[in-house]
Amino acid sequence: MPARQIQISDDDPAAALITQRGLQSLLGNAYNVIVAPTPNAAWLACAHGNVDLLIVDPGAGSGSASALVRAMHAFRPTTPIFVLTAYDTPGLRAKMRDLGVKYYAAKPIDFKDLLPLVTTALRTTPLPEAFPLRLNAHCSR
Amino acid sequence: MGEGELEQLQLRIAVLERNLTEAKAHAEIVEREAALQVSRAVELNARLSAILSICAALLISRDVDTVVRLVVHEAAHLFPGTSAAHLFMIDSEQNALVLRAPGDQSIVLKQPGEGLAGKAFLSPRAMLMVGPQVEEALEDLSREQIASLSASMDHWPPYSALLAPLRVEGQRFGSLVLYGGVHAHLYHPRDLPFIQALADLAAVAIDELNQHTHAAALQRDLALTQTLHAEAEARLNTAQAQLLQSAKLAAVGELSASVAHEINNPLYAARNSLYLVEQDLAEDAPQRAFLSIAQQELGRIARIITRMRDFYRPAKAELAATNINSLLRETLELVQTHLRHSRINANADLSAEIPLIVAHADQLRQVFLNIILNACDAMPDGGDLRLKTRLLQARSESPTTIAIDICDTGMGIPAEHRPHLFEPFYTTKAHGTGLGLAISAHIVTQHGGRILVESERNQGTTFSILLPTANE
Repeated sequence: MPARQIQISDDDPAAALITQRGLQSLLGNAYNVIVAPTPNAAWLACAHGNVDLLIVDPGAGSGSASALVRAMHAFRPTTPIFVLTAYDTPGLRAKMRDLGVKYYAAKPIDFKDLLPLVTTALRTTPLPEAFPLRLNAHCSR
Repeated sequence: MGEGELEQLQLRIAVLERNLTEAKAHAEIVEREAALQVSRAVELNARLSAILSICAALLISRDVDTVVRLVVHEAAHLFPGTSAAHLFMIDSEQNALVLRAPGDQSIVLKQPGEGLAGKAFLSPRAMLMVGPQVEEALEDLSREQIASLSASMDHWPPYSALLAPLRVEGQRFGSLVLYGGVHAHLYHPRDLPFIQALADLAAVAIDELNQHTHAAALQRDLALTQTLHAEAEARLNTAQAQLLQSAKLAAVGELSASVAHEINNPLYAARNSLYLVEQDLAEDAPQRAFLSIAQQELGRIARIITRMRDFYRPAKAELAATNINSLLRETLELVQTHLRHSRINANADLSAEIPLIVAHADQLRQVFLNIILNACDAMPDGGDLRLKTRLLQARSESPTTIAIDICDTGMGIPAEHRPHLFEPFYTTKAHGTGLGLAISAHIVTQHGGRILVESERNQGTTFSILLPTANE
């Protein structure tokens, strides 16, 4: 069985690296955790259809990250998106909820708290043939 | 002495005696005339004294009822033989002449020229009516009016009457009527100057008291208006001071939140780096103690950062069900005096469909106040301020949004300023802080909403505040 893939899109390279190393270390070889250098690269990876979870930080003024979430919601609605942000505000939470994001956590979060949330998100990934086209997913924190 | 001389002497004596008799008769006539003149002089003196007394009394009278009672009472003394004296005044509510004194009878005359009082009211000057003239004037009155009139006097019907209008500067507002008794005094034309003088004195005194009362009422109204104005100014000043204070605090808070957000990423990386290092260490590695200290201290920083960030957010306890229309009305009420002084017409078109939302009412009120005051500043020569609320919904299944439009007809915002409107410390006003719109935008964002601006030079500006009805 091929390793499941987790894409990370984060403007902060140190934070992205730590997320990647931590999750890779904690999840093991069953998962392939990759840092996309840009939101566009993350989108291209997701567009190929082999991404099981997208972790993204739509930081302050990061319009491209929001655009990535919007594109995922429109074209890959079944791929779970996990927003892991250092710029947590009620406004951002509302915006992400409106964009169909189900999983949301604010930095600084410890890996021991992050890991259960990530594994929960991964469990929701359906089989490819069961993908429904859903444009208005409900959001939960 | 001869016989001829004696006859001449007797003739002279007879002439002298006739002359003496004539002189005596003339002296009696002169004496009677003198007595009459003395009597008239005494009467005149008495009337002048009475008029002067009335003048003095009127000067110290403090209300209209006292004046009319005094005039009626003194009139009876001034014109001996008077059976009754009546003073009528116009009642503007009833549009009629109403008997004011004596006050024990109620007589209301609604027709112009009705009765003796009505004729006195229309007359340009004092009149004397005698016999048939009086009877003819009384025929105007109804049976009830006659009954009231006859009950108020000693002799009925009156044989003569003195009438005078109450007038000041060409304005008539009442009449004075004196009724002569049947067998008593018959009024004389020489009484006319006195009745008119008495009526004029009464008119001046009543008018002065009315003016005094009116002036006092105006003074009270002015004082009340000044008090209300001062209170409104104080409330507005307090609100503006609170707005400024909140804006300053919010600026500090925004800075704190901004710093907090920027620190979150390195803090996240540092804490979890330590966690990953710790995973590779042996259970008994001595470095674990230092790693533990570092973790604890980073945790402490994280808590400090959380507190800084929360400082900028409304506490959950302050969020409550809020009526946006009521908030707008309260805010308009707050600036009512300011709008009036700035010659700005405010109009509110508030939709009844707007639901309650969970919000921080004080903060939203500050947003509305800030934008309304900005609109006032944009209309230094007056103008129109329009507030409108709408409920927006893109599709039936979409969430609803409240739109609050605040429109002015002011000078508009130049295009080059618009991109910077919501930046902290950006201002085009000489004494502006540049925090008002920045904090307003932040408050609205905290409520999950946003602010849109449309502006046209010299046409006006519309700020649209969009607030979701379902917020966290």
